[in-house]
Amino acid sequence: MSRPTRPGSTRTGVGLTLVAVYAVFALSATARSAVQLATKADEAPVAYALSAVAALVYVAATLGLAEVGPAPRRLAWAAVLFELVGVLVVGTVSVVAPGVLADQTVWSSYGAGYGWLPLVLPFAGIAWLAHTRR
Amino acid sequence: MTGPLPLIAIVASLALTVVVLAYVVLGRVPDWGLLALAGAAEAAALVVTVVACVQLARGGHGLDGAQGATLVGYLLTGLLLLPIGFAWSLAERSRGATAVLAVASLTLAFMVLRATQIWAAG
Repeated sequence: MSRPTRPGSTRTGVGLTLVAVYAVFALSATARSAVQLATKADEAPVAYALSAVAALVYVAATLGLAEVGPAPRRLAWAAVLFELVGVLVVGTVSVVAPGVLADQTVWSSYGAGYGWLPLVLPFAGIAWLAHTRR
Repeated sequence: MTGPLPLIAIVASLALTVVVLAYVVLGRVPDWGLLALAGAAEAAALVVTVVACVQLARGGHGLDGAQGATLVGYLLTGLLLLPIGFAWSLAERSRGATAVLAVASLTLAFMVLRATQIWAAG
């Protein structure tokens, strides 16, 4: 078993696992928000718009960490920081004023509905980006 | 989508997850034994998917079109996870790469669970 072979790469070693987890979230959040927006967009527009934003953030984080695109590290940083702010703000709003959102989002209750992973992931992403910084 | 079949599929993929995590802890890379176990979990999920499609086609289940499509979507996506996860876990000889298969198998268990929940709601 070897350590990451290319220093500075975000997609070797533990980074591969992280990319896989982000990919699962990107896929499921995108599918879920597509279904919500297609079938009942007017029921909880704020929640479903937020779900779509979260889906985009997970896609961006996946691509950034997988080193796709011209500036993947910048993309990954932007995505995980946005994700951290998003899960904290949306999580707080969903707890303090649940009526605002009208329905569940990935980030409601700090991601409790997804095993708290939405809360853990941005910290893992930030730690990994900092760890692999050249 | 009731009875022991979905439960067997869920237990099989959870068992695979545990074994993969043991591989990660021991520093072992995926081998033929793990491939066989993944094949068994995949086969169980495939049986559940076929049974679900047959039962949906027969009717009398109380699910509307969107629910049926979502249920089949979960199961078909779930079937892709282990092949992709296994191939991905061979990308490099590292614990992180092996752990990708654990992510895939845990997600498969969750997908089958969601499918049974949708079925129960119908």
